[in-house]
Amino acid sequence: MWFFRSPEIVFGEDSLSYLSTLDLKRVVIVTDRYLKESKVISMVKNSLPASAQIVVVGDVPAEPSFDDMLPSLENVRNFSPDWFIAVGGGSSIDTAKILFALYERPDLSVYDITPIVKLNLRKKSRLIAIPTTSGTGSECSWAAVVSERGEKRKNELASKEILPDIAILDPKMVIDLPEEQTRNTATDAIVHAIESYVSSWRNPYSDALAEKAIELITGNLPSVLIKADNIKAREQVHIGASMAGLSFSNSQIGLAHALGHAFGALFKIPHGKSVGIFLPSVVRFNYPYCSDRYDRLNAIFPEDIREKKLDLTLENFLNKIGQPLKIHQMGIDEKNYSNQVETIVELASESTGITTNPRDANREDIRNIAMSVVNLSK
Amino acid sequence: MPKFPSSQWVEEYAKKLNENDAYKDAGKTWEGDLVFVVEKDQSFPKDVYIYLDLYHGECRKAVYAESLDQIPKAAFTYKGPYSNWRRLINKEIDPIQGILTGKFKLEGSMMKIMRYTKAAKEMVNTATMVQTEF
Ligand SMILES: [Fe+2]
Repeated sequence: MWFFRSPEIVFGEDSLSYLSTLDLKRVVIVTDRYLKESKVISMVKNSLPASAQIVVVGDVPAEPSFDDMLPSLENVRNFSPDWFIAVGGGSSIDTAKILFALYERPDLSVYDITPIVKLNLRKKSRLIAIPTTSGTGSECSWAAVVSERGEKRKNELASKEILPDIAILDPKMVIDLPEEQTRNTATDAIVHAIESYVSSWRNPYSDALAEKAIELITGNLPSVLIKADNIKAREQVHIGASMAGLSFSNSQIGLAHALGHAFGALFKIPHGKSVGIFLPSVVRFNYPYCSDRYDRLNAIFPEDIREKKLDLTLENFLNKIGQPLKIHQMGIDEKNYSNQVETIVELASESTGITTNPRDANREDIRNIAMSVVNLSK
Repeated sequence: MPKFPSSQWVEEYAKKLNENDAYKDAGKTWEGDLVFVVEKDQSFPKDVYIYLDLYHGECRKAVYAESLDQIPKAAFTYKGPYSNWRRLINKEIDPIQGILTGKFKLEGSMMKIMRYTKAAKEMVNTATMVQTEF
């Protein structure tokens, strides 16, 4: 027995206009301080029914802690919304999930947001997610990451009840995404698809979505990077990224995420970059345990970048799109990294990704993969 | 070959757990005791309890009990019907998926458990190492 869970997904050109068809009266828009005054927020506001009252919670920091959310929660409670609309990347969408849950249930603590607690949400409001990056998959997932203030560790909260009701994938929302973020978030999505495809929780639904996600992202990302306003290609990458999100949300991630979360938290590296850098080594490590599956995914990559094995194809692909494969390419001092590698191994060992990875990894295996991104002979 | 569940099985399980380096490693910061509750169902006549005191990768105490008052109160409880335990030990159910699908119930901090999924997996792996008769 297992489940497939998904929001209602509205996608393609003009999908934002779907908002005007909904009965939205009091709307909280949750976004970050960079987007607060931006074109994308105006577009969302302009798509709402004219009578809707709007409050913008626009101070979500990157990787928010629960304490960061408390003042906003107070605002939200005073306003009494009937809908939450998250507009942004993973941090904004995750924050909206938490605000939504704690507005619905003021008696709960953020730590109650686990799959074993029945939350009974949706008595007062509902949740829409409109991603402005193509990669995190948060619009389609039932998880939310919350940092612990002053700690390197991040809490992974999860409940089927915080899965958004509606995800809107409008390519106009990502057309101005800067190149660096386009690459990082798309890399994250590729890691989601590949890890979910071999996860021990994989299933026919997550498989199908992962395969299609790889096809859409790898087939269209190079065109987006050449011509940022190629809206058709943007749309395909955007849809692919949400499919990758649905895929891992309904199966699990693996070792590249376990390592990437730890590395990203310690060195303040954007998520996509921090998981992408470990992917080729993780695939190499796992290969004997899932070679058929990896070979099948490899065959989906465009011919001009495909190598004999998936790990080599990935190196080729990441290199081609300009993603780092070694930490010195990120400007990280290798000695400093090597000194902290035990902490990375420690944090990675505590991540859930470690248990669903297709091959059991002990500390030494994790350390070897962590050190594979150091180019000591340079 | 010890029968599951029985005091012989629990004794053998605790021994194997203490010999399992992968568990020792994954559980090396864990502090807390737990109780496995094997609930009665069509194939098993009564509820029984397995109490484990786990500390820094070591099983310090393991008790098989047929009544709750024979064991200390534990920080965590993992319970499910006998038939599901059988499937868990035969690796047909993943211990965490077991919770999410309602085949097992967890009482205690899910947050804490989620940091020790590797240890949980090794605990199940260890159970498969015990030559078990059902
Ligand atoms: Fe990710």
